[in-house]
Amino acid sequence: MRNFVSKFFYDFKEYIALIVLSIFSLYLLTGNEKPQIKKIKTFALGNFAFLNSAVSSLKDFFIDDSEIERLKKENARLILEVNLLRKYGLENEELRNMLSFRDTSSFKLLPASVISKMVSKVQGIYILNKGYSDGVRFGMPAITDKGLVGIVSDVSENFCSIRTIENSNLSIAVTIQKNNVEGIMSWDGRQLVIKDIPTTYDVEEGDRIETSDFSTLFPPAIPVGIIGKKQSNVLGLLHNLTVKPFVDIKSIKNLFIVKIQPSKQIIELQEKFHKRK
Amino acid sequence: MYRKFLKPILYVVILTILQFTFVPLISVDGIIPNLPLITIIYYTLVYGQLFGTFFGFTAGLIFDLASGGLLGASMFTFTISAFLCGYFSNENKIEQNTSTFIFAGIVFIGAVINCFIYSAVSTRIQELGFFFLFLNTGLLPAVYTVIFCVPVLILKPGSNL
Repeated sequence: MRNFVSKFFYDFKEYIALIVLSIFSLYLLTGNEKPQIKKIKTFALGNFAFLNSAVSSLKDFFIDDSEIERLKKENARLILEVNLLRKYGLENEELRNMLSFRDTSSFKLLPASVISKMVSKVQGIYILNKGYSDGVRFGMPAITDKGLVGIVSDVSENFCSIRTIENSNLSIAVTIQKNNVEGIMSWDGRQLVIKDIPTTYDVEEGDRIETSDFSTLFPPAIPVGIIGKKQSNVLGLLHNLTVKPFVDIKSIKNLFIVKIQPSKQIIELQEKFHKRK
Repeated sequence: MYRKFLKPILYVVILTILQFTFVPLISVDGIIPNLPLITIIYYTLVYGQLFGTFFGFTAGLIFDLASGGLLGASMFTFTISAFLCGYFSNENKIEQNTSTFIFAGIVFIGAVINCFIYSAVSTRIQELGFFFLFLNTGLLPAVYTVIFCVPVLILKPGSNL
């Protein structure tokens, strides 16, 4: 019996190794949200990001772009303000009679640089040179002076990783600025798409898209892009809208993390609602 | 065994760092070569299927930890790719398999398997479609990866090219 077992293991060692290692990998893959695995990922992110930043800094050795960075920061702040003002302008007519001053919370921006990119058609993940010690927290949005880039998905002491809008695992609640039509935007591997918008809504190519008031991930009114194309489905009842993002995600080098976090109270209320369901 | 493992791991760490820092600069429409995979397949052909399977697993772990992506995705795909490429491993044909264009062919097969499975396990395949995933995340990155294994063939001592 013992000989049989040892012969079996010897003869099929490659297959046994494959099965054991594959099962272990899949176990880790399914447990990515577990706190222990998150801890390991955060620890590794900090160490590898340090190496990546050292290598990455070789590229920027001769370039002093502090002035450009300052101007970009100013530009990003202004574009957020302009977008908010544009939104308020559109709302103004309808709210004129009941206007009361709203808090115009100014966004705090933290400049950051991309130190490594995981480029793929479906999985956009960038690592940035700012982390927990700089005030970065999970869930903070990342933007440039043109618009939305992504969301912070992991944070270590000095580095963080962001999931970009060109990541098929990120869905964003957006709104069409002109008429406040809400939709969910996601990356389908080729383009950003808002699916299932009723054809009865007045939606045109070139309309501006921004993050929605209903988004639990992002603050409202961050510019995202414009509608590029409308495609009706077979029955002609619904549209799929293609979105051209304002930001060229693939060429980003410097960006800003908006130091704002989703309201805990809203998240708690939603969790309660789902539990009751 | 320990020493045999150390050198390839070092190469994988270096190539993984390059993969996330310099390789994005040469991406073509979001398609990039997979440098660590070339190393994994090379050492699988040199040291055999069992070694390759363990090496693929370890390299995948390094790759996943460095990328900040899904932990386990590359571990799984590199393990499978190395195991399958291990079928081409032959003690009597190591030189032939690693110094001629046969190596490019094996890398191509390994890269198609790796890239395709990676996308399939880390994304929602039903939304993206099989054909799209196969072409854009399997075939095209594999072709790009093969281009990068040509320098390995040329620079390798005793190359027949």
